[in-house]
Amino acid sequence: MFRPLLPRLVLVASSLVACSLCAEDVDYQRDIKPILRDRCFACHGVLKQQSDLRVDTGDFLRSGGASGPAIVPGDLKESLLLERVSATDIDERMPPEGDALTADQIALLETWVATGAATPPDEQPQEDPRDHWAFQPPVKVDLPSVVDEPWSHHPIDRLIAAGHREWNLQPVGVVDRRLLLRRVSLDLTGLPPTEEQYASFLNDDSPKAYEHAVDLLLASPHYGERGGRQWMDVWRYTDWYGLGYQLRNSQKHIWHWRDWIVDSLNDDKGYDRMIVEMFAADEVAPTDRETLRATGYLARNYYLFNRTTWLDDTIEHTAKAFLGLTMNCTKCHDHKYDPISQVDYYRFRAIFEPYQVRLDAVPGETDFDKNGLPRVFDLHPEIPTYLHVRGDPKQPDLSEVITPGVPAIFDRGQFEVHPVELPAEAYRPELQPFVLEDQLAEVERVRENLQAELKTANRLRALALQRANTTELLTSLTSDSSLGSAQPETRIWIDDFVTDDAELWEAGPGNWSCTDGNLQQRDIGAERRYMRSRLEHPADFVARLRFRIHGGQKWKSVGLAFDVQGDQEKLVYLSGVSPGSKLQVSYRDESGNVYPSAGRLDRAVALNQTYDLMVAVRDRLMNIVLDGQLVLVYELPVQRMAGFIDLVSFDSLAEFEHVEICRLPEDIELVPTTVAADDNSAKLTLAQADAAVAVCERRLSVCELRPKVLRTAHAADVARAASASSSAEKASELVRAAARAARELELAKAESAVAELRRDLAAARIGNDKKKTTELDKKLSTAMENVKKAAEAIEQPGETYRSLRASLKAPEGPDESEASQLAPYPNTSTGRRTALARWMASPNNPLTARVAVNHIWLRHFGQPLVESVSDFGLRAPRPPQQKLLDWLAVEFMESGWSIKQLHRLIVTSRLYQLDTSRRDADPQTIAADPKNEYYWCRMPIRMESQVIRDSLLTLAGKLDSTLGGPTIDPKQKDKVYRRSLYFTHSRDVQHKFLSMFDDADILRCYRRSESIVPQQALTLANSELALSMAREITARLQEQDGAVSDEEFVVAAFKLLLAKTPTEEERATCGAFLAKLHTLPAVSNAAMPDVRARENLVHALINHNDFVTIR
Amino acid sequence: MNDRRTINRRECLGHMGNGCLMLALNAMLQRDAFAASPSGWAPPDGKPHFPPKAKSVIWLFMRGGYSHLESFDPKPKLNELAGKSISETPWAYVQDPERLKKVRVVVVNDANGQQRKELFPLQVGYHKHGQCGAEISDWFPRIGSCADEIAFIRSMWTTDDNHGAQIQFHSGRHMLDARVPTIGAWINYGLGSLSDNLPQFITIGPRYFDVRDGHYLGPAYDAVPLKIDPANPLAYAKPELDVSSQEQAMKFDLVNHLNRLNEASYPGDASMRARIKSYELAYRMQRAVPEVINFNNETATTQRLYGLDNEVTKPFGMQLLAARRFVERGVRFVQIMHGDGAAGAWDAHSQLKVNHEKNAKRVDQPVAGLLKDLKQRGLLDETIVVFATEFGRTPGSQGSNGRDHHPFGFSVWMAGGGIKGGVVHGSTDEIGFHAEEHPHYVTDVHATLMKLLGLDARRLEVPGQKRLDIDYGNPIEQILA
Repeated sequence: MFRPLLPRLVLVASSLVACSLCAEDVDYQRDIKPILRDRCFACHGVLKQQSDLRVDTGDFLRSGGASGPAIVPGDLKESLLLERVSATDIDERMPPEGDALTADQIALLETWVATGAATPPDEQPQEDPRDHWAFQPPVKVDLPSVVDEPWSHHPIDRLIAAGHREWNLQPVGVVDRRLLLRRVSLDLTGLPPTEEQYASFLNDDSPKAYEHAVDLLLASPHYGERGGRQWMDVWRYTDWYGLGYQLRNSQKHIWHWRDWIVDSLNDDKGYDRMIVEMFAADEVAPTDRETLRATGYLARNYYLFNRTTWLDDTIEHTAKAFLGLTMNCTKCHDHKYDPISQVDYYRFRAIFEPYQVRLDAVPGETDFDKNGLPRVFDLHPEIPTYLHVRGDPKQPDLSEVITPGVPAIFDRGQFEVHPVELPAEAYRPELQPFVLEDQLAEVERVRENLQAELKTANRLRALALQRANTTELLTSLTSDSSLGSAQPETRIWIDDFVTDDAELWEAGPGNWSCTDGNLQQRDIGAERRYMRSRLEHPADFVARLRFRIHGGQKWKSVGLAFDVQGDQEKLVYLSGVSPGSKLQVSYRDESGNVYPSAGRLDRAVALNQTYDLMVAVRDRLMNIVLDGQLVLVYELPVQRMAGFIDLVSFDSLAEFEHVEICRLPEDIELVPTTVAADDNSAKLTLAQADAAVAVCERRLSVCELRPKVLRTAHAADVARAASASSSAEKASELVRAAARAARELELAKAESAVAELRRDLAAARIGNDKKKTTELDKKLSTAMENVKKAAEAIEQPGETYRSLRASLKAPEGPDESEASQLAPYPNTSTGRRTALARWMASPNNPLTARVAVNHIWLRHFGQPLVESVSDFGLRAPRPPQQKLLDWLAVEFMESGWSIKQLHRLIVTSRLYQLDTSRRDADPQTIAADPKNEYYWCRMPIRMESQVIRDSLLTLAGKLDSTLGGPTIDPKQKDKVYRRSLYFTHSRDVQHKFLSMFDDADILRCYRRSESIVPQQALTLANSELALSMAREITARLQEQDGAVSDEEFVVAAFKLLLAKTPTEEERATCGAFLAKLHTLPAVSNAAMPDVRARENLVHALINHNDFVTIR
Repeated sequence: MNDRRTINRRECLGHMGNGCLMLALNAMLQRDAFAASPSGWAPPDGKPHFPPKAKSVIWLFMRGGYSHLESFDPKPKLNELAGKSISETPWAYVQDPERLKKVRVVVVNDANGQQRKELFPLQVGYHKHGQCGAEISDWFPRIGSCADEIAFIRSMWTTDDNHGAQIQFHSGRHMLDARVPTIGAWINYGLGSLSDNLPQFITIGPRYFDVRDGHYLGPAYDAVPLKIDPANPLAYAKPELDVSSQEQAMKFDLVNHLNRLNEASYPGDASMRARIKSYELAYRMQRAVPEVINFNNETATTQRLYGLDNEVTKPFGMQLLAARRFVERGVRFVQIMHGDGAAGAWDAHSQLKVNHEKNAKRVDQPVAGLLKDLKQRGLLDETIVVFATEFGRTPGSQGSNGRDHHPFGFSVWMAGGGIKGGVVHGSTDEIGFHAEEHPHYVTDVHATLMKLLGLDARRLEVPGQKRLDIDYGNPIEQILA
């Protein structure tokens, strides 16, 4: 049977493979058709017949197209198909997109053709995708008549029971009522029933008891939170993230959109309306902030760096979430399976092409970091959309501008674009009345702060003045006072070191000498050297010395000691040690030398520079003046005593030029420490303090002008916006007023700038920084020139002013200029998104209602009606329950797209109330439909992460049921008992506990995963949340039921946590557990061993399979 | 290997319930003979498809992109041409736009990820090492001392010019495409575990771009993140409130006892059985994991080998010693990410010399220590060590002393089970720009691992999730022993 092929036709590589194949090895259905389907049908199938060729049946292949037959059985040479797929010229080769067929694939085709190209006789051509079940409008079938009594009351039951009967399936019975209430409560509100809720339901014997309980749940605000979180999954909610503080994805304050979702569900807003609002609130309700929140859906897709990525996400997830279409496949080429072309993709993109994102101000907040409303708007209607060749944005096909539209196959004329004229407040949000009020209030807050600053500045100035006055008085006591009012009677002694004065001084250790009017000490090394006065100094005195430090090994300290007597002394010195140069006061007590930090002033100490140090001492209070500045006030904590003065040198080449000691007259008041402690800028000179006061005054003047500026600008803005209809003259008068106010403000600002420069100059002068002084002088003259110009401008105010701003546009890219960001917004919107939304939310759209119903159904039953929830395309086979899906879809639309009503309809069916247990199920039914495709029982559902946490909080009585508001940082230290949907959730910030239980993937989450991994066991076993809530729940159970027996406690705990009554065996097991626990030291030594034991039991039940399961 | 045990183990890590990932539930149902999958598709049974050459992988990933030019791919031409613009050299062709096309830009107009024209000399010298004489930069002398165990691949390429290439190196897909499972997840998915007490896929060290691995395979195939901190090695490893170990043990017992009793009411409830297993494994894991990362019974010689006696090498050394202890105990895939920061520590846009010298000091000793330790214990034959990074760095200079991201050519290496030692495979052109001889896309590394572990990646495909040809890659045959 082995039959080698003619080798001349085929590539060497493929011939080698082909030679090893024979006819038996190739099967058309198995080997050939899949290749053709995957690579050829898109252009040569039912939708498109390029060159008049179809290849979806053998007959089509044999009859061929415009160029003749595609295959000639047995004749490789004449078979165009083979020629084209093995062509090496890229322009010739088929398929034109993607990789060439592999050598193996070509070999299969060759073998098949060579061996006669057999195809089955009854081969069906490719189904017309337009006939695909999901692309046909849903219809309500007549409800089957059902004989079986419990299944005949509810439409869902009747449709399902028909299937049961058809397939001879025996449904299981309904679930126990307690478990039913837990199920429906978790399902509709995400919270378990409390004991009171159980009691009231179980004690209600009326036939409507269940309906009543359902109504209560649907009316609870927690219903919106529960459903909201589910839709947040589908719509890809994420808080903003980026790098550090740079926003790259989504938007700040996107939680407004979350609140809109919750509110909309609680208000039972129609799903069709929700779609319109999410896609186009800015067009249909352009000034309604509540409604504008909806566009967070689009704002969430913001991506700073790449517009195409941003729009790709918008397109992909809009199509998947609302339409169940995988349009993302058509970015680079026509869809391989579905009737959606690449052009359709770019038509869809054109709908979104103009949209951008901005934050609008919300009442009560002017800081966009704190709050703001993220919303969308059309900014660039003029930007054309081009098809990107092979999806490459660098290769736009400029030959044709693509117009907005929906996929051609679904366009039945409902997609109509009408541009929308926007009201002024929509494109100029600053016109909203609250904006002016808020900005005025903000100015007032700033003004209050500035006033406080001015008060401080004035106080500092008073202190500076006091310091300056004291310094002046002290200086005037000394001999070289420039004031000429020297008071010789106070002077005790003075030495200019012209000669060695042995009467005045007695040299201690050190190498001392007196030359040229200087006293020098030349020994270095860490040892004290001093020159001691022969006379004692007065109790209260002023000492002044001028000296230089020329060097030293490390410490380079020079100073003055007083109260020197035996071992005792007080010391003031300047140390050039590096690092750590300083002015320091020290003293001795029983512990030795003390260097108090309050007596320390860090400052630069230069070598070879003359320092002028003046130390005034009254009792224990010291004022130290260095180079004419009172720099340190210190109160000695030790007793004063009579003693001598030492000139001190420590590891320092010291040179003293002048020393004098004066008595401190009683009428001179030193600056007290109480004042100094209050003075956090003791180094401020009077000039600096004056300049600082001037700065505050000028800033305050600026601020005080702002209300007028804001008011006039607002009035002018309003008038301008209205000027089309009212008098232009009045508008222009208001504009001139705004301009005048603006010019006044500019003058005040210019004056403020001058004041600031003067302040800087005063500081630079202290530091003696020549370069800086020169630079500032130059700036000051420019600033003064600006003041002059600003003053002149007031004479000719013109008509320019700055409008209020109440919106912050998200940058269109990382390098967008501020000017472009501040440019006015357009006064029309393209209307494209409204057209899209109306088309999606149209009852004629075959997909929208079905996709939504499927999502809702999935979340009630844990299994969807259509398995691929985000793909209703051709690869989605007709679902077994299509009649039910379609009936519900139509019912949903007829109810005004009421989600609440759909929930009610579903949960009141008998089907919903079936047991999850298969214990008593009919074995034949299990065997016939193990996957439960015909719904003969219910599937257990693992709670979503949020439900697990919220359940724990509820049962513990700890849940804080505050609704809505800003997101909460999950890492914050304080315990937060809000519902889980309020935590910040982004790529970078996740709640640790929630993340362990398959929390929503922010990139795509059409269906939560339900993994079962050991880390989850550890989370429930070891997390503080689970442990602490177990303790709280125990306490509540104890409280509720008083001091009950262990057995009664076990029953109560089972009923509360698992909604079941424990079996005999479970009771016994738990009883034994409690008893055995008492033998453990951790329990028996606990303050209340019983409670501790029961806490362990409750905690174990939290870890029970049925706690995290919706049964 | 005990097959039954393997199956149990897979069940508990398996993806259960009636959630979106039906595949694992199917897997379990099938094993329990409930039903055959209608499509004929079957999930992996945990056994290799053909005889494996190795059992485990230690995956060392240097985040940020180390310079191939200053590590494993010497280009003395750069010293000769330093300061010249590429366009005035015979290698001007490397910047032919056609040849640069493979780049897919994520961040438009970024300051980084640009062409750098002015050639920058090598910042480090090279020496030949081992009998093979492979040239390795002087920043990696100790890795050099293991050259005869290593196969160097000097001809890697990728398409992301930004650090999303980290995702790409692990998954094979560009950041702008859908997220797909990483190589570790595939191996986790495809192979049964060798340990009853430990997760089989572990990740250590900082991740930034994508902290998930399983993606459409499900979170059960995500790596379990561990810290090398015996007191707190994994999330919720010990009670956060005062609970005695006896109390905890009794509670775990009670939980499983009650769940088993509950099986009477819910026969055939797959997720309940999976939960019972998950608690059993959790209980063992919380004890086993701290034991593995406690190095008290490692000799001082071993600790020194990994550089634990030196503050510079200690952090990475501890991670690698833990990795050895994990593979010794049957963990399949240990993924270790080196280098803090959003982009990664090796991202030397400026001061490349300072940066690489510092980072190389942190890893060189521990990595060489790992190879030697594995060898002396006979583990190197069954463990594959991969040393990789997301891309190389530009032959041209960025600023005065850095190199920019470079996706067109870069170097990685592999060693251990089934890998030929002392091999230098593939090459870039003379200025280190393009992978020229035997170019390898990143998934060729994946394919090589799969082959050595006995897996046919195509047989792991999941219904409804189309893998592209490029996702599979091709094994690098030339480096196989």
